[in-house]
Amino acid sequence: MVFLSLSRWIRSRGPDRYWRHRELLQHARHFRGRKNRCYSLALRTVRRAFQYSTRDKRLKKRNMRLLWISRIAAASREHGLKYPMLISNLVKCQVELNRKVLADLAIYEPKTFKSLAALAKRRREEGFSDALGDGREPTGIFSRIVHSG
Amino acid sequence: MASFSRAAQVRNSPWNSLCLLVSQQWASFSKVWYLIDAKMQPPGKIATMCSVRLQGKHKPIYHALSDCGDHVVVVNTRHIAFSGNKWEQKVYSSHSGYPGGFKQVTAAQLHQKDPTAIVKLAIYGMLPRNLLRRTMMQRLHLFPDEVIPDEILKNLVEELPQPRKVPRRLDEYTQEEIDAFPRLWTPPEDYRMK
Repeated sequence: MVFLSLSRWIRSRGPDRYWRHRELLQHARHFRGRKNRCYSLALRTVRRAFQYSTRDKRLKKRNMRLLWISRIAAASREHGLKYPMLISNLVKCQVELNRKVLADLAIYEPKTFKSLAALAKRRREEGFSDALGDGREPTGIFSRIVHSG
Repeated sequence: MASFSRAAQVRNSPWNSLCLLVSQQWASFSKVWYLIDAKMQPPGKIATMCSVRLQGKHKPIYHALSDCGDHVVVVNTRHIAFSGNKWEQKVYSSHSGYPGGFKQVTAAQLHQKDPTAIVKLAIYGMLPRNLLRRTMMQRLHLFPDEVIPDEILKNLVEELPQPRKVPRRLDEYTQEEIDAFPRLWTPPEDYRMK
């Protein structure tokens, strides 16, 4: 006797579990221990890894900025200036370089950075002489200090 | 001291990563040996200078993970000068781990026992609290007097300026300078100076 409808009595509980597990384990291959092989352990660890990754996308910007600032501070101290002096005086000279560019210049373009530090130092001295010398005309070359009246 | 920043020879790609170009300059990450004379200097100021150089924060190529700290040799730690009454008032505490093992020692007693301990503890407290702190402390060399071993003497590159300007004592002034100093008032004949 031939059971023609035998195949209809078999139920498939979802044919693609293997591939769903593979997709997750791909993200866990560089982990240490059983969590790079076993699905249940990898599931928890990978979930946490993704959470850390999205949180750190925001932290990376903060950390990079802190690194740039410490590098610029080190380079400006080599030239006899401090970081707040450098930044405030460059802003007053309308030099709108951001910290990323300043840090790269400090590492790869040392003479350019030296001239920027000299510019900031000169602008600072002109600011002092303007504040103390009490408003006589030739205030300076680098500063555009406007007196009212 | 020459600047630590090195101009790279080639800058072609717009996204040049630091690792590509720093490798062209082989001496960028070499260790430099600094000398600091701590005679008549406040140990805290000495410690800040040392900790900055041990971490490598004085270099524009600084990164916490790139091991760019330098060696620092501090000389004459026996002759450091605390301001105020800190020799008697500053207390260094420690606990041996056993019950009843809490010890409190004044700065003067600690200095008597070990002349390099005050500077060492000051620098240890100023370094970042991570696993690199111990390696940075290994790169610090403290000597109580001017006697330095030859191997270290040969490595020294630069002496850093002292943070505090040491004032002269009264007996270091010549009689002419004392006489030339302006007088605020002359005391009368029968004035008794204590």
